[in-house]
Amino acid sequence: MAEKSASEYRGSIHQQQKELMLDWYQRLDHAAETGDPPTVSMMISGNCVELLEGFGAIPLYPEVNALQLAIRHQSLEPILAAEEMGYAGDNCAYVKADIGCMLKGITPTGGRLPKPTLVLCNFVGCNTYVKWFEHVAAFTGAPLYVLDVPFLRGDQPSQADIDYVVRQLKEVVLQIEMLTGRKFDYDRFRQSVAYSSEVEDLWSQIKHLAKYSPSPFDAYFDAITLMGPLYVYRGKREGVEFFRAALNELKEKAQAGNGIYEQERFRVVVEGPPPYPYFRTFRDMFASWSAVAVASTYSTVGGLWEFGFRHDPKCPFESVAMHMLAQNVTNRNYLQRYDQIRRYVQEWKADGVIIHFVKSCRLFSAGQGDMRDYFTKQLGVPTLYIESDLEDPRYFAEAQTKNRIDAFFESLEHAKHTAGHAVFERSR
Amino acid sequence: MRIAAGVDVGSTQTKAVLVGANGDGVNVLSRSLIDTGANVRRAAEKAFDECCQAAGISQSDVGFVVGTGYGRYNISFGHTQMTEISCHARGAHFLCPGTRTVIDMGGQDAKAIGVGPSGEVLDFVMNDKCAAGTGRFLANAAEVMGLGLDDIGPLSLRATRPVKIATVCTVFVESDILSYLSQGKRPEDIMEGVHLAIAKRTLSLARRVNIEPLITMTGGVARNIGMVRALETVLGQKIVVTPDAQFMGAVGAALFSLEKLGESFESGVWRDHAVSSGN
Ligand code: SF4
Repeated sequence: MAEKSASEYRGSIHQQQKELMLDWYQRLDHAAETGDPPTVSMMISGNCVELLEGFGAIPLYPEVNALQLAIRHQSLEPILAAEEMGYAGDNCAYVKADIGCMLKGITPTGGRLPKPTLVLCNFVGCNTYVKWFEHVAAFTGAPLYVLDVPFLRGDQPSQADIDYVVRQLKEVVLQIEMLTGRKFDYDRFRQSVAYSSEVEDLWSQIKHLAKYSPSPFDAYFDAITLMGPLYVYRGKREGVEFFRAALNELKEKAQAGNGIYEQERFRVVVEGPPPYPYFRTFRDMFASWSAVAVASTYSTVGGLWEFGFRHDPKCPFESVAMHMLAQNVTNRNYLQRYDQIRRYVQEWKADGVIIHFVKSCRLFSAGQGDMRDYFTKQLGVPTLYIESDLEDPRYFAEAQTKNRIDAFFESLEHAKHTAGHAVFERSR
Repeated sequence: MRIAAGVDVGSTQTKAVLVGANGDGVNVLSRSLIDTGANVRRAAEKAFDECCQAAGISQSDVGFVVGTGYGRYNISFGHTQMTEISCHARGAHFLCPGTRTVIDMGGQDAKAIGVGPSGEVLDFVMNDKCAAGTGRFLANAAEVMGLGLDDIGPLSLRATRPVKIATVCTVFVESDILSYLSQGKRPEDIMEGVHLAIAKRTLSLARRVNIEPLITMTGGVARNIGMVRALETVLGQKIVVTPDAQFMGAVGAALFSLEKLGESFESGVWRDHAVSSGN
């Protein structure tokens, strides 16, 4: 990110994070030139990145490319290119930005991106994934494999669901063996699953640090920064090292009573992806009220670990399947998401919930009106509902968004002093 | 007497209000209203200036100024800013004690605010990013019909068979109206259709906060009696409208200013007050 918000956490892990991500992009650039290492396009949500380690392959994340573009204020050009080609205004703008980039030869860092060895659609929850990856495969000419991951219908997936996904994962292994001519290294895969489990444990501990008051980091905005290494390096030693350092750094901060503001005034839970094209502006709207996000659902898109789930090297295939089926926010149902947010509000001691409706993303946003009702009317939790987009800058109305956020915090402030009609002090 | 001001810079009009507190309680001293126009900063200055003149005081007599409305950050002389959501709730609580729901309809915003027993905002919802269901929608409809904004309300009260306006789009409503005109529908029935369309949209907005009596309507559109009646029809409840509902945001801002000066008070009444000459 080029610009820094006043409230942004920048410890030594920030620099390490940058280096790790740069290194990943360099490896992708190298792969574009030499074909090595093999690369597999996949989605962030509940993926099976550990499988790639068995081939020494690395992931290619169209979503990360799209959000990187947006955060650098470069998403509109590819979106328009895709629309010119016929993509509709209502299509997910992540898809349009990604396809537009292919059409225009744009990459977020300026380096090259390889033609993937395999386009692996790890379909969990969002059916846009399927169409998106069909198009990626068509544009790149790479082979496509669509994993069919059933929705989570009950609290836990059935054994039949798990077996069904495991069978497909094994099929993917055969596919990659065929495409790369490399033999799948089961031990390396199992080791990767073990690394993931360690990373998940560290990440979960970091998330729980936000229970401190003041919270040592923002579990929405700063968590997003940490999510890069989480997705790219989850099943690797580097990931374990990075998250161990991050935990130590943040734990020290928490124990010393250092928050991200001189005085933390509000604690909120944020639901929904951020408006990446206005990431900093959006963050500043929270910062002007010294409001910190103590938890967020978006940071559990890749995996839901703060409530206990870990990958298990004793049964690597099954635990990857379990993760895909049940342990990421996108494949779970709405009531489970309500419950996740409710726990955040209660256990992380939040003053309210902020729902960011994203026009692009039906998966996240359909039903958020009811969610708002549930929290305000049934639980009595102050809840703000705002709308824009995660990728398309045309849907962000700065004055309107700020107005709603200001009004929300004014009302929280007022609630703290109901008896006395306090006039709200706000930093200007 | 301590004097405080509220300036509400809206998308269409800018309102200023002065309030004063002495032993008797809190009075509204004066108010002014001007078109916002392109120069927001100047509009705020002018409204404030006129308001002071109407009260016969100098600007330096005003102890504190709170700015509100979309242009609040452009008020160079303001001491602090608050959103119009808090201000409308505060103003309505003061002038219409017992208010539990505020329906505010302005030039490009429609909002519903749940108000607590001490005038605090409990919950609020606003229209999304388009102008459907706002003053702009009514203004467009009036223009297509060749009617003045002040005429459409009384006219619509004469309707006997209101037409159905399906669209809530501020632009597409024109073609709906033109087609009804070409079918020979009566202007009052068309305008009543327009009012009902907005009222229904506002109702679905307002339902998202708990609609509880007393319901007070604020904002410029509250001057339109047709809109008030249409809202009452769809809500099935009475709505309270003060004669100067469009000043409610500025009143709330002025009350917050007064609190800032250390005054505390419960509620008041809209007393006789000086009126500026307007534009
Ligand atoms: S619709 Fe949402 S979940 Fe699906 S691809 Fe787009 S942003 Fe991702």
